[in-house]
This record gives sequence, structure tokens and C-alpha cells, in this order.
Amino acid sequence: MGRIVAWLQERVPVSAEQLAELTNEPVPNHLKKWWFCLGGTPAYLFVVQIVTGILLALYYQPSPETAYESIRYITNEATFGWFLRSLHKWAATLMIAAVILHQMRVYFTAAYRRPRELNWMIGMCLLMATLLTGFTGYSLVFEQLSYWGATVAANISDAVPLVGRFAKQMLLGGDEYNARTLSRFYILHAAVLPTTIVLLVVCHIAQVRMHGVTEFPDPQEPPDRPRYFNFFPDHMLSELIIGLILMIVLCALATVLPATMGPKADPLTTPEVIKPEWFFYVSFRWLKLFSLSFAVISSGFIVGAMFVWPWIDRFLRWITGIEDISVYIGIVATFLLIGLTVWEAAVSH
Amino acid sequence: MTIRSKQIIIALLCAAFIVSLIFVQWMEVARKQEEAGVGIRHVSIPVSSATCVECHQKSSPGIIDHWKGSTHSVKGVGCVECHQAEKGDADAFDHYGALIAVVVTPRDCGRCHKTETAEFMASHHARAGNILASLDNFLAETVEGSRVPFNPHSPTPGHEVSKVNGMAFVDTGCKQCHGSKIALEATDGSLITFDQLKPGPDGKPTDKESLAKIKKASNGRPLLHSSSWPNTGIGRLNLDGSLGSCSACHSRHDFSPRRARQPENCGKCHLGPDHPQKEIYEESKHGVAFRDLKDHMNLDAENWVLGVDYSQAPTCASCHMSGNKNNGGKITHDPGERISWTNRPPVSLVMDTDSKGEVVKETDPAKRGELIKSTWQEKRAQMKNVCLNCHAENYVDGFYKQYDDFVITYNEKFAKPGQAIMKALYDQKLLTPKPAEFDDEIEWTWYLLWHHEGRRARHGASMMAPDYAHWHGTFEVAERFYQEFIPQARELAHKAEEAGQEAEAKAVRTVIDGILDRPEHQWFEQAKPKPIPKPAAASTPAASAAGG
Repeated sequence: MGRIVAWLQERVPVSAEQLAELTNEPVPNHLKKWWFCLGGTPAYLFVVQIVTGILLALYYQPSPETAYESIRYITNEATFGWFLRSLHKWAATLMIAAVILHQMRVYFTAAYRRPRELNWMIGMCLLMATLLTGFTGYSLVFEQLSYWGATVAANISDAVPLVGRFAKQMLLGGDEYNARTLSRFYILHAAVLPTTIVLLVVCHIAQVRMHGVTEFPDPQEPPDRPRYFNFFPDHMLSELIIGLILMIVLCALATVLPATMGPKADPLTTPEVIKPEWFFYVSFRWLKLFSLSFAVISSGFIVGAMFVWPWIDRFLRWITGIEDISVYIGIVATFLLIGLTVWEAAVSH
Repeated sequence: MTIRSKQIIIALLCAAFIVSLIFVQWMEVARKQEEAGVGIRHVSIPVSSATCVECHQKSSPGIIDHWKGSTHSVKGVGCVECHQAEKGDADAFDHYGALIAVVVTPRDCGRCHKTETAEFMASHHARAGNILASLDNFLAETVEGSRVPFNPHSPTPGHEVSKVNGMAFVDTGCKQCHGSKIALEATDGSLITFDQLKPGPDGKPTDKESLAKIKKASNGRPLLHSSSWPNTGIGRLNLDGSLGSCSACHSRHDFSPRRARQPENCGKCHLGPDHPQKEIYEESKHGVAFRDLKDHMNLDAENWVLGVDYSQAPTCASCHMSGNKNNGGKITHDPGERISWTNRPPVSLVMDTDSKGEVVKETDPAKRGELIKSTWQEKRAQMKNVCLNCHAENYVDGFYKQYDDFVITYNEKFAKPGQAIMKALYDQKLLTPKPAEFDDEIEWTWYLLWHHEGRRARHGASMMAPDYAHWHGTFEVAERFYQEFIPQARELAHKAEEAGQEAEAKAVRTVIDGILDRPEHQWFEQAKPKPIPKPAAASTPAASAAGG
């Protein structure tokens, strides 16, 4: 055994002590509270998506003639196909929900403030990449709703000033949804966006390691008590518990509410009701409330403001003198987000 | 929380995760088995049938495999439960210690399935064997075959034939759908059916003399005559006096509800030139939808209720027998309960039925009212209940208006006139008197007109198949009527006239001309030049001059 370790150390000159030091970063005590442990959840679900996605890709054929049939084969015939597809669908739903919840936690605890502004922007990029991955994945099914959802999304992007037409052509591979569109979605969904997410996650974690986790000291904690605890094994075990619970929840959702299939896409028949996936309900309702150009420009403005929020927050605090001004704005924004989503979900048109 | 506590939680969660994966595996296996038709079944072989299963597994394994695929096998209903006989039954025999009979009758099935048997016994299906003295059977017995055996007229190389069974076409053709009287061989060479056995209300034979004459094999098994067995015709006349055969629809020995729900099952008999219901269904949008969506029709559902278990398409069973959401899922084993026209006779009749389920033909309104126990309107209301699961009321009413108009037009334009002309020919003795049918050309013509083309048309209209209603139906009816039937009737009148039967010829012509003078037939001859009347034979030159 000793000889094997020595052989390994010669080729990988990292000592166990160095490794322990590298991984055993001191973790602030507030992370012992469970709701602060949700940052790892999206990453965990992302791994599930990678694994199930690779297995689904073994069968999926991205062309209008074969896409729907290949998913029908996965769902109805391939061994465990229904389970993997359902896991993929539910993990996507939970991942988007987890990213949004994580970002809300960061926002309401003002963890984006100096010197962590750049990490907030990386987080925003991750949110955008996750939403885009969800959108492109839904479009791959090539059922009526996903087809028409993609068509509507492309038409919306067309309304963006200056770059809209170019973005639509890049997305669809032409002016209309055509034989090349699905392969574009597939490449984006299975290669470009996951790679982007991996790179952004690396940057995100590197930033966390460089700056450390934002501390929220408990005023009631005795001053002589240590302010930190070890990442390994204590925090690691907490993350493992969350991961296992997530897997059980995913299995339950996949078996009780398995992924289904709507009718196959028919470019000649527009469905009476077109709905995107739930995470775009808010934007969809926003679009219905205003004219297309105003809704698109205002959406762009809101997203842009979210990107540079750390500086906007600083500016608002400076002119109003209210330390928690962002919290009040956040509460209004959250109600708006939930209200518009529920509204869109509740009505058929 | 201590690290030790976390470790315990992780161990428990790991166990739960593994259990969830095992559950997923179980679901996948069950799904695959269901797809392959080999779902997990817990076959329960009752002690009384253990020997039967063991022995027949070797001698006729198909029977046992079919039974193992049945609901009976899961519920512990074995061979003896259905085949058991009682002492005194005409066909009972001891089979390795069990008293059994070969033929399982509706009376046997009724030991458990009382309601289904009662409904079935009241149906027209159960009386389908009554055809065995009808016009159709005259064709098979006499015209096609021979009622008496006859000698071969030349040798059949390699197969010695001493007598030709002239009833072979009846045995293989008619009886396999309509059923036959189950017959046992008698020691004196005669046949013993329920006519001789005279079964009482309990199904036991009351005629001891016939019972004593039953011929038996060396193992004591009464010998079933090959003219009547094997036979799963739906109107079988059984030795115990019961009517019909449940296996006609449910098949031996798996008694599959799934199969009985599919149109192919009915298509064993309801097809062909004279009643192509199966082909008509296939042409209709109902049949087209069924072929497309069969996989989604939940055919294995326990109750299979339209509007609850499926809505994709109706089959024969959906409309005529199975339960639907609107009728509370009530199934009937009498397909006539929802039929409002009978299109079987030459002239269609509404399905007002008497206490025996027979169509009331009485025309006097008062007497008719007394006889009717179930009206055609009640039957139609039941069928509409089925239709309304998928169609709006005005749509269904519209369909029935079209159907009624179609049947009445056929009746009035072709069927009743055809009947009147045939009656005139028989009344004037220009045709061989009944019962000698099919020895005159016009009898074949008339038969093809109503029995084949006329039924095709009416059935096509009843089940929404336009091509059968028109091109295979009324078009051919019209062609047969104008191009064959009328010319042949006129030819018979002409021959009678030439033979000196002027009064008879005139009577027939009066009927024909009266019909062709009606507005709906006037197109046929009104444009043709009228024949120039012959000068009177006894006319004088002076009379001719006066006439000119």
C-alpha cells in the first residue's frame, strides 16, 4: 500500500496535507443553517442533467422528421427511457427553481455588494444560461406547444432593436423555423450552453474561494466560540444529505408525474392556446400586458438593471440614505414575479 | 447537528434512495411485461382441476396456456368449474374421476354469470340458429348441397368415398356462425338432439328412451355427431335446452374481454356480400380512428366504459354492448337493445319488439300497441346515449334523420314494389309455388336485390359508410331492379300471354305498370317511345278505315 502511495505521490506531487488544506476551507457558522446550503443544489442538479442528458442523447435524433418519434421511443419503448426523460424534465424544473431561489437569497442578504459585484454578474450569466438551456431543451421535443413556443420566442427576439433580426436568424438558421432549426437548438442545449455553464460555475466558485463566503455573524453567538467550521466532513455531509433528498424527490416526481408527450408539431395548425414553460410565464404575461416593442425593450432594461444591480444598489442607498432600499424593491419585484406567473398559469389566454 | 447524526441520516436516505430505484426497476419490469402481454399473473389452479391441468399440459398444451392467460385462472376457476356435469345429463361422462361434459353451454356459464347469460339468452344472437329452416338455409342445404347423401359419380384418387355428405356446406358454412342443434349419435344410427331429449327447466332430459339410445365410446363418452360438433355458432341449440354459445364471442379457453371488444371478433360472421358490417365499419370514420388509435384504447380495462376508460373510437362492442358514461357504464349482452331498425328482411322494420324479443309485424295500431313491450324509440334512445359521448345532440339527430330517410326511401322505392311484383307472380302462378325457391331466374334476382345489395345499402347507411350505402348499395339495387328484375317480370308476363294466360299476364303487368307510373320511377320509361297498340284481330276493313 505504501509503495502505491509513494508511486502516486511521485507522479501527482500533492500531499494529503496540502489536499486537506485546499478542500478544508473554513466555513462560516451561518452555513450550519440548512437554508444557506442551497447554493450547491443547482450544481448538484446540473450533474443529474449531464448524466441523464448523455443517456437521452444516445436515442435522440434532432430533425423534424425524427425528433418526435425518437422521444416517443425513449418514452414508450426504451428500457428506463421514461424514467430518464422524467428525471431530466424534473431536474430541469428544480434546477431553474433552485437557481432563482439561490439568487433571491443572495439578493436579499445583499451578498452581491463590494467586493463581490463580479460574482453577482457571473450568477446573472448563469441564470440566463440556465433559462436558455431550459428553453432549447423544451423545444427539442418537437410537440405542438414546444414548436409554437419556439416560433413565438423567435418572433419576439425579432422585435429587439438592432440585433433582433440577426438573433432570430441565428436561432432558427433562417427567417422561419426550418429543417436546420432543431439541430441548432440541440447543439445549443447539449454542447454550447452546458460548456458555458461549466465555465461560469468554475469562475463562480473561484470567486467564492477568493473572497470567501459572505459572513452573517449571529449576534447571540458567544464571542469565544469559533466563527468557522470545517468544510470536510461537516459541511460536505450536509450537502450530501440535500443531494440524497433531492434524488429521492426526483425519483418520486419522475414516477408519480412522469414526462408526457403532446401532439406532434404541425406547422400548418396553430394551437388555440400557446404557452411556454412555466419559467417564462412571467415574461409571457408581461408581453401580453404591453405592446410588443415596449415589452421587449422594458424586459431588456430590467435584465440589464439586474446585471448591474450592485452599483444601482449603491447609488440608491447614496441618494435615499436607506440601507435596505434593495430589500423593499426586492419584495415588490418578488410579488410581481409571483403574481404575473400565477396570472399566466391561471388563465387559458 | 453532530457529524454522527448526519452520518445516520445519510445512511437512511441512501436506503430510501435505493428503495426508490428498486421501485423504478419494478415499474419498468411491469411495463415491459405488459407490453409483451406477459403481465405478472398469479395463476391459481384449483385442486379439482390439478389433474386436468397436469395431463392436458402434455396432451394439448395450448388449451392450458390459453386458460392460464384468462381471468378465470387468476380467480381460481378451473376446468371442472365449467365442464362439470350432473348425473342424468345427456352428455355427461366420467373422465378420470370427474363427471364432465365436452360442450359448455350458457346454462353452465350462467352458474356464475347470471345477468350476462339472461341478457344473452333474450337476444337475437341466441336465436340465430333459427335460420336453419329459412330461405338462406334452403340455399345451402338444397341449392348448393343436398339434403340427402348421394353416391359419388367417379372415384377420388387416394381418398375412398362411399357416400357424399350433401350437408357439408351447411355444417361448415351456416352452422359455424348461426350455430346448430348439438346432436349425439344414437345406437340405431339416428341423431339425438334436444328435440328428442326434451330437457326440463333444469336442463335434464325428460325422454328416457332417447337417453338410453345414446351411443358411447369405449371410455363411456357420449359421441357428438360431426355434423354438429365442433361448433361455436352463436345460436347453438344445446342438449340442455339452452340457446347459444358464449365462446362465440369470448373464445375458448382464455375468455378474453379484450378480444370481444375488438371489431375483428364480430367480423368472423358479420362480413361478406350480404351483411358486410365489418367492412362497413372499417370504411367509416369510426373504424379509421380505431385502426389509428387502437393502442390508446385501454382495451384491457376492467369495465371499459366509453367516456371513462377511452374515447378515441368506438368499436362494434362500444355501440351495441359496452357501457358508456351516459348510461352509468351499464353493459348489455343483447346487442338488439340499442338497434332501432331491423335491416335483415326485404323491407326494413322498426324494432318494436314483443315479450319474446321478436319484431312486431302487426299493422293494426290497437293490436300492435298491445303486443309491443319495447319500442324502437326506447332502443334508439339507448344508442343515442352512446353517440352523445362524442357527438352533440343535434349532430346525432341529424344522423338519424339521414338514416331514417335512407331506409324509408329504399323501402318505398325498391323493397315494397319488389315484394308486390313477386307476390303478383306467385299469386298468378307464373312462378313455381313455394316452397320450391330459386328454380326461377327472377327468384335469384330478387334475392340478390334485397338480401345482398339492399342490406349492404342499409347497413352502410346505418354505420356511416358512404361507399357501401351508395356504390355497393343503392346503385346496385337500382341496376338490379331496372335492368334485371323488371325485364324478367315482364318476360314472365309475356310468356304467360303467349301461353294463353292473358288474365294472369294482365294482372302482373298492372302491378308493374302501376309501380313504374309512380313519380319516383317515371324517369325510367317516360322518355321511351310508347309501343304502338296492335290492331284488334277481329277488325274489318271498314273498321280499319274508320279508325284510320
